[in-house]
Amino acid sequence: MNRISQKKGGTRMLLQANEAIARGALEAGVIFAAGYPGNPSSEIIETLAKASRDLPIYVEWSVNEKVALEAATGASFAGCRAICSMKQNGVNVVSDFLTNLSLSGTKGGLVLVSCDDPGGISSTNEEDARAFAPLSDIPLLEPSSPQEALDMARWAFDLSETINNIVMIRSVSRLSHSRSDVQVKDLPDFDVQPYFDTKVSFHTFPIVAKHQARHEKLRMAEELFENSPFNFYRGPSRPELLVIGSGCAVDYAIDAIEIMSLWERVGVLKLGTTWPLPRKLLLENLQKSESILFVEDVDPFIETNVKALAAEAARQVGVKTFHGRGSGDFPLCGELGPSHLLEFFGNYFDLDWKDQEFRNKMGSLTKGKIPPREFGFCPGCPHRGSFYAIKTALAWDDRDGFVSGDIGCYTMGIWPTGFNQVKSVHAMGSGSGIACGYGKLEGFGFDQPVITVCGDSTFFHATIPALVNARFNNADILLVVLDNSATAMTGFQPHPGTGKTAMGQPTQPVDIAALCESMGLEVHVGDPYEMKETARRLYDLMQKQGPRVMVLRRKCALVQGREGGFPYDMHVDQSLCVGEECGCGRYCTRIFRCPGLIWDKEKKKAMIDQVICVGCGICAEICPQGAIKKEAKG
Amino acid sequence: MEQTTVQGQSNLVREVLEKGICVRCGACVGICPYFQYHDGKVVVSDWCQTSTWRCVQVCPRLPYDRASLYDYFYHVNDCTDAIGPHRQVVAARSGDKLVRSAAQYGGVVTALVIFAMEEGLVNSAVLTDRGGDLAPKGVLCSDREAVLGCAGSRYSASAALSELNLAIQAGNDRLAFIGLPCQMEALGRLSLSEPDGQERAGHVELKIGLFCTWALDYRALRSYLKTKGIVEIPKKYDIPPPPSEVFIVETNNGRMEFPLSEVREIVQPGCSVCEDMTAEFADISVGTLEGDKQWNTVIVRTDKGMELFEKALRAGVLEQKEIPSSNLEHLKEAASNKRKRALRARGEESNE
Amino acid sequence: MELNVIITGVGGQGNVLASQVLGNAAVYKGFHVSIGETFGLSQRGGAVMSHVRLFKEPRYSPLIPPNRAHIVVGLEPLETLRIAQDHANPETLFIVNSRPIYPLNVIAGDVDYPDTAWIRQVLEQGGSRLYWLEGTQLAIELGGPIMLNMVMLGALCAIQSFPLETKDIKDILGEIFPQSKLEVNYRALDMGEELISNYEN
Repeated sequence: MNRISQKKGGTRMLLQANEAIARGALEAGVIFAAGYPGNPSSEIIETLAKASRDLPIYVEWSVNEKVALEAATGASFAGCRAICSMKQNGVNVVSDFLTNLSLSGTKGGLVLVSCDDPGGISSTNEEDARAFAPLSDIPLLEPSSPQEALDMARWAFDLSETINNIVMIRSVSRLSHSRSDVQVKDLPDFDVQPYFDTKVSFHTFPIVAKHQARHEKLRMAEELFENSPFNFYRGPSRPELLVIGSGCAVDYAIDAIEIMSLWERVGVLKLGTTWPLPRKLLLENLQKSESILFVEDVDPFIETNVKALAAEAARQVGVKTFHGRGSGDFPLCGELGPSHLLEFFGNYFDLDWKDQEFRNKMGSLTKGKIPPREFGFCPGCPHRGSFYAIKTALAWDDRDGFVSGDIGCYTMGIWPTGFNQVKSVHAMGSGSGIACGYGKLEGFGFDQPVITVCGDSTFFHATIPALVNARFNNADILLVVLDNSATAMTGFQPHPGTGKTAMGQPTQPVDIAALCESMGLEVHVGDPYEMKETARRLYDLMQKQGPRVMVLRRKCALVQGREGGFPYDMHVDQSLCVGEECGCGRYCTRIFRCPGLIWDKEKKKAMIDQVICVGCGICAEICPQGAIKKEAKG
Repeated sequence: MEQTTVQGQSNLVREVLEKGICVRCGACVGICPYFQYHDGKVVVSDWCQTSTWRCVQVCPRLPYDRASLYDYFYHVNDCTDAIGPHRQVVAARSGDKLVRSAAQYGGVVTALVIFAMEEGLVNSAVLTDRGGDLAPKGVLCSDREAVLGCAGSRYSASAALSELNLAIQAGNDRLAFIGLPCQMEALGRLSLSEPDGQERAGHVELKIGLFCTWALDYRALRSYLKTKGIVEIPKKYDIPPPPSEVFIVETNNGRMEFPLSEVREIVQPGCSVCEDMTAEFADISVGTLEGDKQWNTVIVRTDKGMELFEKALRAGVLEQKEIPSSNLEHLKEAASNKRKRALRARGEESNE
Repeated sequence: MELNVIITGVGGQGNVLASQVLGNAAVYKGFHVSIGETFGLSQRGGAVMSHVRLFKEPRYSPLIPPNRAHIVVGLEPLETLRIAQDHANPETLFIVNSRPIYPLNVIAGDVDYPDTAWIRQVLEQGGSRLYWLEGTQLAIELGGPIMLNMVMLGALCAIQSFPLETKDIKDILGEIFPQSKLEVNYRALDMGEELISNYEN
């Protein structure tokens, strides 16, 4: 039995913050969970999906975030507690629904979890989704530890039912992917009877009245926040510097205060409820010091709002000196880390905080000698074959063609691992949408061929409307679906094409090729490992017009590795390899760039790294000397 | 494609590909992974970083001392004959009606290749296939049927040398190569190239050259025919001798004629600087015999060519007759004109 | 009490699993634990680093402050060197697997992978002690490179200043691995421990 589903509370267990959010939701009696995978949020639904084996709850991976929140809202309207999770980009996708939902209000406790990605560790941006809380007038909770993540998740449902509106929890990568020992409480009985009360309706009319009601709900939340245990002050009654902040940055501030022994000079007001801000609590604390430091990721959200509050209440709290991202003391972009806090305190209090001697010594020893580690497709990854074929076809065509990219592992097509073929990447499905634009420029003399790519999961998420648009408007687009039968980037979650649900139940898979055919598109299916054949097919398709689709189908190498592995033992016959000589010029290692195929510096020949190579065999095709040999595994 | 600082390959690309004068001979293709030929075009797929540049050494569109080739092949410093060094010029045709019916004219090339194979002079031959949806390309043939399948004129470049390069790479020996004057020059340059050109050229036992005034850009031809309503794959092309001035295309739906002046617009620009009409560095060069569609003009150039030609006559594989002197004059005039045009186009004065 | 351990390596080496195993064992042993992980694109061969912090009192902070790692477990030499300047100090103890995993830009010849003998030398000079282990070799002998993380955990447990023993790790492995995989992982831990106890320098 999964310990997340452990009925009895009271024990302390190591949980990832995302697992803690899932456990908190279960402790609140959630019976419905939906989401769309995206780092760093995916483990919430994954954890609940695992728990669904032991508990009477329903969990789904939805086709996209908007549908996920809509499905969860259905459960809420029927009186059930429901949770919906996503990464920051997903909140953009749900926003159209969210800003209307918050007007209609909800019934069963409904919680939206956004896991933001400061620094964009695995995202296309580092957007601060907190902005959607004031935009939608909904309460916002920000945990700063796994324990708090659990406690907040549990309480958020009570809050939602108290004010009859959706509540947002905002985590960040650093927290979501951290683990700590967490105290759990008992799980309830989950004995809910869904029922939609037809005497009540959920819509946004009359609009102004509903808008007013929404603000009233927010005011109720603010009152509760004034006494929330998620907000607390620690420090002297009159600190020289008052730190106000949320999330992990507060933990770093506390660490820095400990390290520099500043508890008599610095106070910390940690906020867990950051929209609406608890005014009374803030005004009371603002009076403690004339210097305020804001610590938060990413935007100066608390900072800006507290500054406005301090301006309103200037007579009461006095004139302040503000420090923070917005005031230029920290970078306006990127994740705050422990060194930012130490450096600030060091400068502010004129204290030494780092072992400069050690840093100098190591710095001078290693300067310029530590190469970065370039991102790349895994050994055996079908995307390497797909992009190689795309590169070849575009070169053959010779009209300066390029790839309009999308979101997934294959986003790395912008880098050498994808032969730098991808020239634009934005949001889910945008590659095809943008291609619809290129596809109507022929009449103006535009002659460059464009291939747009999307993964299988992205196809379902947001590519379909773009493809319908291409059909409708007869745009010349060539979509290559990189179908690796997984949402690989985020950890192999099932999607509509895989024939399995989040709860592991079989379901009718949606056939991408058949769906495209039904739209009247020319559809071909190929294998990314057959690079030459794929390139030929793509070249032919590039010479045609109208919307065309090529589905390149091959299982994600990591999945294949788990499900029986690869067929070949690879080796390089170094007597055939000509290495740097004319006729090769290190083609395999320099251009093809598979981590399993490395350069033997001494012999100046290619060789296989037997620890890394998985044995997919496709590199044998690209060696001009035929020196890369594959043999069936014995 | 991210450009890096590479000397040789980038020079070739700048001087030939970017100037649009590549004639798709295929000499640079197949010797490395960086040049590729597909559907009538030679392209660069990636940037190389080596410092030998066999590609540069063999490219017939880069300046080269022609005298060194005359010296190497014919032990002469120069050649004032417009049709190049040769042992004899005759009219000939295949002795086999079947071969003649498959061929464009007298079937000499087809007959000679098959004969050389059957006699064991060569094991296999690289010719140009018929093309289809895609432009014609080189093909390695090792039997009579395959060779017959390649009979007929293409009027488009095929980069068939790439196929020869691959055949050599794959370990084939005693090869015949059938190609255009630019390809014979590239093969000649190969013999003189470093580091392994002589060794690689040594695998070519027989070179049969085809007369050529110019070749078409296949992709442009396809677009041209499309504008004329021809979308199916043509079965045959023909340009009857002057003064007809037409380009004939035969498809399953019949025969269509187009003004040659229009078709000249889609001639490869690189052909305008080519000074060789009769493939001066082949063992035997073959072309039409003006005024007689059943016969070919044959220029036998080397001892090896002479030996094969005579053997073929003795075996009845070929029939020959004397070439009318007016034909020979016309041929020399045409060849001389091509050379003059090329030198003018290159900004060099004719030394004739 | 505060003990800061960094486990660093490359995506696919089992870095995250190692920190999770360690954290669970520490919680069972009565410690309060905080683990911060940097992954993201790391599944694709990028750099991965876990900050494992053991406390006697309840505390959470997912990143070890600069230059405050007591022990660095390096699954890959270059990645160990990469984090040394910012995270180690003259008292830091390094346990490093000697086998490189070459970055793509190194394979391509764009940049050089430093000589491993030099990496070893710098780490020796940098901290208080370096254990330079042929962990991958041992892992392969045990059944595959993926056993490396358990070998290195075994080595970590053999360190005097580290409060957990291989037995503590073994006690919780049953929660992580299926029964069929337990025996080989136990052996990996034992062999890793022996690498340190038999270490000759």
